Amino acid sequence: MVNAIEQLLLGWLRVPPEPAPPEGAPGSLLLFRAGRNYWRWRLLCWAGAQAALLLLVLLPLLALLLRRPHPLLAGLTTLLLLLYPLQALFTYFAQRLDYRLRWYIVTDRSLRIRAGLWSVSETTMTFANIQDLRITAGPLQGALGLADLEVSSAGGSVSKEPGASPTHLARFAGIDNAEALRDLLLARLKHYRDSGLGDRPETAPLTAEAAARELLAETRALRAALYPKTSS
Amino acid sequence: MVPAPPAIASLTRPTENLFTYYVLRALATLPALPITLPLLYFRHHTMRYEFSPEGIRMSWGVLFRHEIVLNYARIQDIHLRSNAIERWLGLARIEIQTASGSSSAEMVLEGIPDPAAMRDFLYDRMRGASTPTADPNASLAAILHEIAAEMRALRLALTPEGPPLHPHG
Repeated sequence: MVNAIEQLLLGWLRVPPEPAPPEGAPGSLLLFRAGRNYWRWRLLCWAGAQAALLLLVLLPLLALLLRRPHPLLAGLTTLLLLLYPLQALFTYFAQRLDYRLRWYIVTDRSLRIRAGLWSVSETTMTFANIQDLRITAGPLQGALGLADLEVSSAGGSVSKEPGASPTHLARFAGIDNAEALRDLLLARLKHYRDSGLGDRPETAPLTAEAAARELLAETRALRAALYPKTSS
Repeated sequence: MVPAPPAIASLTRPTENLFTYYVLRALATLPALPITLPLLYFRHHTMRYEFSPEGIRMSWGVLFRHEIVLNYARIQDIHLRSNAIERWLGLARIEIQTASGSSSAEMVLEGIPDPAAMRDFLYDRMRGASTPTADPNASLAAILHEIAAEMRALRLALTPEGPPLHPHG
């Protein structure tokens, strides 16, 4: 039943299927989801917000209704009370789908994060552009074994206003392998000696072409050494 | 520099669907409709793209003209975003970030016929996307280097006081 409603909603909102991974070396692809406890964490946050709403808005409204106010005010209050279970249901589904519609992809060169239900966002960032990594976890998240890993690229600060989509930032929210992922990203970052700003990454210290030229010079020198007269 | 693929290099105008979306957006600002609709109309009808081998040029506006030029190599991150209405119309925004100071996207490509393909094209041209982390010929280079060392040893064994390595400069 719940799944059927969700499928209907996903079709209605035209939510695209699972994201395609960015180009990278085969075998380096790592696709994972938020930790299982992330769903419990979202549920706890939702329950907390609902409890606060109940205490701060609903109970005062009920108290108002019991005092038998003007019929117009009473009607308005009843309407608000009836809206409460509706919004609770709506936000519950929003939490569920936020957990389900979340993909994290890491290849040897880049990362991609897909999230969102109404507004779908797919962020792609190459490791060559990464500036810093940051792990944050609140006490509740810590108890659930979760953490957020934030990866920043160079540029303007993240807008603090609510609802603004973060830019210059890729956020692995609620993952249960933050430390391991950080180590993996750091290991892959090491391949870029000029990670962050700068020009294109330098080529490897010894290219095949340079080695071939060295071999050519050495062969010529050998011939010159063996037959000095034929050397041109 | 490799030129952009024909499907992208020939792209100069946003799709008509973008204008449909703009009309819906203007309708959402109900009281301000007489102002927003003409603004968005001119935005759509003056919007031009140019995808050169080095970068993107985007321009729009009549009274207040805007023109943005950025190089593929300077792209920091790419966000492919869409809300449900845009998806119904087959649209998506490609927000491109460079390392400049603003916290909003430096360039937002709208009304691209195939947004996912465009995103993949931009990703290909980004720093660090197409440059492999290790030289694929690294092992070949190492072998060549070893052969050269063998040759040098051979030459030195033949003529211990032989000529220098580069007799012809």
